[in-house]
Amino acid sequence: MSENSKKKQWEQAAGKDLKGKSPDTLNWLTPEGIEVKPLYDSGDTAGLESADTYPGIEPFVRGPRATMYSARPWTIRQYAGFSTARESNQFYRKNLAAGQMGLSVAFDLATHRGYDSDHPRVVGDVGKAGVAIDSVEDMKILFDQIPLDQMSVSMTMNGAVLPILAMYIIAAEEHGVPQEKLTGTIQNDILKEYLTRNTYIYPPTPSMRIVSDIIAYCSKNMPKYNTVSISGYHIMEAGADSVLQTAFTLANGLEYVKAAIASGLNIDDFAPRLSFFFGIGMNFFMDIAMLRAARFLWNELMGRFNPNKDESKMLRTHCQTSGWSLTQQDPYNNIIRTTLECMSAVLGGTQSLHTNSYDEAVGLPTDTSARIARNTQLIVQEESQVCHVVDPLGGSYYVESLTSSIIEKVRIILKEIEDLGGMAKAIESGMPKMRIEESAARKQARIDMGKDIIVGVNKYKIKEDAIEDVREVTSQVRDEQVARLNEIKAKRDNGAVEKALADLVKCAQSNGNLLETCLTAVRARATVGEISDAMEKVYGRFVATTQCISGIYSSEFGNSDIIKSLQKRTEDFMKKEGRRPRILMSKMGQDGHDRGVKVVATAFADLGFDVDIGPMFQTPEEAAKMAVENDVHVVGASSLAAGHKTLIPALIESLKKIGGDEIKVVAGGVIPPRDYEFLEKAGVAGIFGPGTVITEAANRVLNAIEKK
Amino acid sequence: MKPIDVNWHIRGVLDNNRKILAKTITLIESSLPVHQESAREIVHRLLPDSGKSIRLGVTGVPGAGKSTFIESLGVMLTEKGRRVAVLAVDPSSTRSGGSILADKTRMEKLSSSEMAFIRPSPSGGTLGGVAMKTRETMIVCEAAGFDVLIVETVGVGQSETTVSSMTDFFLVLLISGGGDELQGIKKGVLELANAVAVNKADGSNRANAEKARKEYESALHLLRPASPDWSPPVMTCSAVEMTGIDDIWNTVLRHREKMISTGEFSEKRRMQSVEWMRSLVDCGLREWYYGNQGVKELLPELTREVEKGLMDPTAAAEKLLSFIKK
Repeated sequence: MSENSKKKQWEQAAGKDLKGKSPDTLNWLTPEGIEVKPLYDSGDTAGLESADTYPGIEPFVRGPRATMYSARPWTIRQYAGFSTARESNQFYRKNLAAGQMGLSVAFDLATHRGYDSDHPRVVGDVGKAGVAIDSVEDMKILFDQIPLDQMSVSMTMNGAVLPILAMYIIAAEEHGVPQEKLTGTIQNDILKEYLTRNTYIYPPTPSMRIVSDIIAYCSKNMPKYNTVSISGYHIMEAGADSVLQTAFTLANGLEYVKAAIASGLNIDDFAPRLSFFFGIGMNFFMDIAMLRAARFLWNELMGRFNPNKDESKMLRTHCQTSGWSLTQQDPYNNIIRTTLECMSAVLGGTQSLHTNSYDEAVGLPTDTSARIARNTQLIVQEESQVCHVVDPLGGSYYVESLTSSIIEKVRIILKEIEDLGGMAKAIESGMPKMRIEESAARKQARIDMGKDIIVGVNKYKIKEDAIEDVREVTSQVRDEQVARLNEIKAKRDNGAVEKALADLVKCAQSNGNLLETCLTAVRARATVGEISDAMEKVYGRFVATTQCISGIYSSEFGNSDIIKSLQKRTEDFMKKEGRRPRILMSKMGQDGHDRGVKVVATAFADLGFDVDIGPMFQTPEEAAKMAVENDVHVVGASSLAAGHKTLIPALIESLKKIGGDEIKVVAGGVIPPRDYEFLEKAGVAGIFGPGTVITEAANRVLNAIEKK
Repeated sequence: MKPIDVNWHIRGVLDNNRKILAKTITLIESSLPVHQESAREIVHRLLPDSGKSIRLGVTGVPGAGKSTFIESLGVMLTEKGRRVAVLAVDPSSTRSGGSILADKTRMEKLSSSEMAFIRPSPSGGTLGGVAMKTRETMIVCEAAGFDVLIVETVGVGQSETTVSSMTDFFLVLLISGGGDELQGIKKGVLELANAVAVNKADGSNRANAEKARKEYESALHLLRPASPDWSPPVMTCSAVEMTGIDDIWNTVLRHREKMISTGEFSEKRRMQSVEWMRSLVDCGLREWYYGNQGVKELLPELTREVEKGLMDPTAAAEKLLSFIKK
């Protein structure tokens, strides 16, 4: 029997199952706009340029290495850091003893944004969402008794990348490890910061010079070190679907390559040291296909530069399971989600992986939750027997077809970006950010409608679900940091520091290598804040222009009663009060994750609120002033970086001080349930954790306003 | 509902109490008749304390960098000791009528300054448009002691004419844009300009901006200047690099001096008063007319008839306007 007639037979059988309806009625349109059919066959993969390939050779669809996990499994690399360098150091050493293979350092937001711990703008941020580092002394404590010549260290740093990388190099040097032996990765991916995470310091142009200078220095002096980790993770977490994640990540990568070549480097001298970092979400096969497609496309893109080395075209990546997919409700479900995402990354062929802890929707992981997260990988790696075969899904009709569909969709966006003049120009135009936010708003609407199901959140809900035990970082951390800062400043040769900083200013104004110049300053004990300030004198601090989409949330909902009843409620409010309910959405502190604020803002506007959006990085005093001047009814404070217990009560106090006592305050984001009572006592009128349905939040906010 | 204490508002505004100033603006912007009545009284009683500020209107196409420009100008002015109020009219209303007001995100420094007051206003839902209310808000801000008022609009709609009719100096911001020299900005808007500035003259864009400046200059030559004593200059600036901002401010001051010396300044303000009176009457008429019970009943019905082609528009209009004669 021919293939064709077998297919006809299947169609008939399927038609019978479906009581006469065509199997096409089962097609599913993914958020990426890919039409997924109920069945794939050889016809779907025939002639595909990305199918029928081998791993370790071009186009690398099936993996960058020929033997992949069959010879050596992926690196289990858990991202962690909190509080002081000493506490983080102890945590790292414990994890290494328990089977972790590489380190991945999380810095606090003050450090990211180039502030020392004693800066007045960072009161709520020190040591909260990562470790606080002010000087090389902190860095030396962080890596105490960790053999840096053997241990690969990944550092998530983009804004204050120069002082931090310099401090890592000098800490190693003073521990007796020369820089050429250092292995690991610095994220150094500034472009995506303008897209999503907002932990930049300087404007794009000087920031791109910093990236190039680091690439240049490391390719000469640190041959085993990955100089950029081009990150899609944050793009996904901000709401991008898998096609958008791939397109914008590859486009960012391409921009770095162009910048490095423009600064005079040879493609083969740096391209092999570029690595990637993808986020893996709950669409199981999609993200397997995404990693395969990304490798194919990077090979294609790099081919344009005619490199001699294969490694220059080979995409190597770290992956992390999605933090956004974790829920506060029924939290042990998160272990299962993470396991699925872990499998997806593994079947997609990642080189290293971080699996999230189940409690990260509400706070920093505890020792127990961190252990379970690590064990998730260990069990997949050592018990499930999946490592024996390279790319086991290679040749799967569905996965190969999906891979090819992603390639096609991504190419269209890459072309669009090229037409705008490259990614830097595209970012300036606001196009990528709008696309991501649109995707996030649609996703939120689908969840709020129950179209996208999340177990425990919008289906199969349970009553008691709180996680009680989360790690808390006390405000003593800041005191400790400030004390050490003062001590260092008293002991060091201040003349030498001043000279080194003056040299740095000169270097920023002219042509030298910024990283090289920073090394001298760091050796002299200049701090993160001092080094950042010196460069800020030349470059200025970047201020984002916030654009916001509208109409997307309600249009995804369509003609729904929930939306209409809310719109009527705000309309009635207006008839009674003479104006619409007005809310200020504020992000205080140095946390730049603005997905939540943006999604809520656009949805609330669609529901008939007037929505003010505050500038990024507001202090509580600034937010209060804005709330009073704009005469809003309510302030919505978003907190994702553990600053809520400091910043939100400070906001309420500031409001009282300037006559805004009538203004209600509600809070949303990553807030541990055991802090609810504390916040409510402080005067918070409503708390909305992860998984809150926005329409429900809108009703509760209106209740709070109308209660008076 | 709480009774409105007009004296509390007036005292508060004169004391430059931010909260009361903010509440007073809310009252002015309110759609409730009882609020509007009190607002009218407040504005009326504050009028003697107003009129002394420099009133500057700023417009430009979306993407011209208006907010960033106002941030830079405002910060410079507050550093000179000026007290600056910025009134931003935001057009981004959605179908449901809610607005997203994100201007202050671009005025980070200015919005946190004690010398500045920034108030973005939603445009949705007010009869006669927000620009109408802006004039009254300006009076209140002046009474509160602000000596520079900046009114920001988007250069695509009709609000420019209104804004230029309530300011002393009207600045149009443009950017260099590959040959398409008037960038969708209406010729009518350029005719209102007392100066044109090509923004984003920074980095690699400097040469382009200078080229655009020359093009606009020759385009502007073709327009008849509104005043015989002032031909609008075309300048370049960079709100990001803070260059040219000082020049623009000096131009504003020079214009003011010139207009005062020729008497045009007080003439313009008097004409603006007439304009204000007219628009109040217009607005009052509309409110009165659309509030008429007969109109409320007949309007939807006749609208449907005309839509369906069952009635011709002139006949429908005549029928609707018959209420005025009653």
